[in-house]
Amino acid sequence: MINIYIILTTSTNLLVGMTNLLSLGQAALYGIGAYLAVLALMALHLSLLPTLIFVILGTSLLSLLVAYPSLRLRGDYFVLATLGFQLIVFTILYNWVSVTKGPYGIPGIPSLVLFGDIIISGIIPYLILSSIFAIGVIIIFYKLIHSPFGRALKAVRDDELSAQAIGRNVTALKIWAFVVSSGFIGISGLLYASYVSYIDPTSFNLDEAIFILSAVIIGGTGNIKGPIVGAVFVVVLPELLRFVGLPDSVAANLRQIIYGLMIIILMRLRPQGLAGEYALK
Amino acid sequence: MNNDTILNIDSIRKSFVRNIVNVRGKDEDERFFLLEDIDLLVSKGKVTALIGGNGTGKTTLFNIISGFFNADEGKISFMSYGKHVELTGINAYKIARLGIGRMFQDNHIFQNMSVLENMLIADDKFFGERPFESILFYKINNTIEKQRKEKAEKIFAELFGDNNPFLKMKNEKAKNLSYGQQRLLGLARLLMGDYKLLLLDEPTSGVNPLVVEKIKELIKYFVEQKELTIFLIEHNMNFVLDVADFCHFMSKGIIAMGGTPEDIIGNPEVRKAYLGI
Ligand SMILES: Nc1ncnc2c1ncn2[C@@H]1O[C@H](COP(=O)(O)OP(=O)(O)OP(=O)(O)O)[C@@H](O)[C@H]1O
Ligand SMILES: [Mg+2]
Repeated sequence: MINIYIILTTSTNLLVGMTNLLSLGQAALYGIGAYLAVLALMALHLSLLPTLIFVILGTSLLSLLVAYPSLRLRGDYFVLATLGFQLIVFTILYNWVSVTKGPYGIPGIPSLVLFGDIIISGIIPYLILSSIFAIGVIIIFYKLIHSPFGRALKAVRDDELSAQAIGRNVTALKIWAFVVSSGFIGISGLLYASYVSYIDPTSFNLDEAIFILSAVIIGGTGNIKGPIVGAVFVVVLPELLRFVGLPDSVAANLRQIIYGLMIIILMRLRPQGLAGEYALK
Repeated sequence: MNNDTILNIDSIRKSFVRNIVNVRGKDEDERFFLLEDIDLLVSKGKVTALIGGNGTGKTTLFNIISGFFNADEGKISFMSYGKHVELTGINAYKIARLGIGRMFQDNHIFQNMSVLENMLIADDKFFGERPFESILFYKINNTIEKQRKEKAEKIFAELFGDNNPFLKMKNEKAKNLSYGQQRLLGLARLLMGDYKLLLLDEPTSGVNPLVVEKIKELIKYFVEQKELTIFLIEHNMNFVLDVADFCHFMSKGIIAMGGTPEDIIGNPEVRKAYLGI
């Protein structure tokens, strides 16, 4: 799970930390990735690489549906549009029973086929595979952040007016940031679906979207470390609470309270998060 | 538009809606024309100054030229790399690419980026700014990045001499620079682009006399060495007298007067209406 969350937070950072775009639709994209993976694995019987490509492209393309109209508008429409997107995607996943099986979920998702008959199943192979993906995503985002593309996003984040005045197409850059980040979020959907081998829409609801955003904000944005720290934190904390011996029902609530408090305290004392670089405005 | 003209501003009108309290004490929206009818020519290779009282609409006119606002009526044409272009309705970023650079009244440099990054991002080559381009073509990208850095450092050295604070602070965030240094960076950054016309909105506002002198020097350098045309807004009359070839006085939504800086600033009407003396 930790690797899945690292991919989620690292990808979201490109949006939140590098471009200052707050998205409440990250769980929807995560869900789209998972359901597209199921489609590729169960209906099309694809092996890992084609599934990966299918999921990345599919998630990116679907993200354009929300990016293109909303990012051409000014200001906070984007947050609202992603919220709308999140709710719509969840509703579709939940109610389009003939395709998604709705609330009953989809069981029996097969293991990933590397190629030929090399099948990835069991905890250790999965850990290795997901670690490879997580490291790959971290490296790619590291490169992106330190590339001219990342610099252009930072310019948009700092001062849109000025970015336009030096000839940068702010709208196109924001759309790119969203589409690239969405494509990689799709990968976490793929890993999740084949890891737990059963998915239903509740894993991809608004709570989850807020949870992903909290992880990013707690860890911090604008660099590579921050989102990783955030992902580790939100995955390890529940285990820690269990370890201390709190009953599950108490721990679950306590966890929410801790996240909430963390965000408030961090906003006050350390707006760049635990290990981030950019202070959210 | 003859060959000496780089920018032709033709009958520009711009209105805004303002919220007022009417005679009955109620809120009311009222449309008013800030710019009534602006006609103005900017000559190629010269420094043209625009003066006028606070709030007369000078910055608004710049915003229309740069494409941040649309005019209600009128048109603006620009000589872009030897071609006539109508600027009306074109996006701000495209207007910049046509060759019009802009310095804002309030600094508007990238505060959370380093001094060097502020220069690199202003380059007229866009290579690597599409996602993955820099990863897929990393060799080309590395070469171009190296060229960008050399270009930036060369500009710093040319404008401010060897051992200048910008080279020393190149990796520090721009917000750590003093206000005057930020303004100078805003000017230096314009040389990274391939501009023909620079719009400078009050370049000397809020800086000390030494920096004012430096800015004077830079403007002369831009015009004489870099063959740039400069259109600037100023409240500092001595500065206008020193650098400008032409001066226009904006008042009540029109260009009330145009001529040499000496004529305009010496004119009794301008002195009465604007300077209050
Ligand atoms: N977006 C807007 N909406 C409404 N009114 C506006 C808007 N932008 C500018 N104005 C009006 O324009 C006036 C200021 O214009 P502008 O900034 O162009 O003045 P200026 O000549 O540059 O003044 P200064 O010398 O103080 O910089 C304001 O008084 C305001 O009424
Ligand atoms: Mg102004």
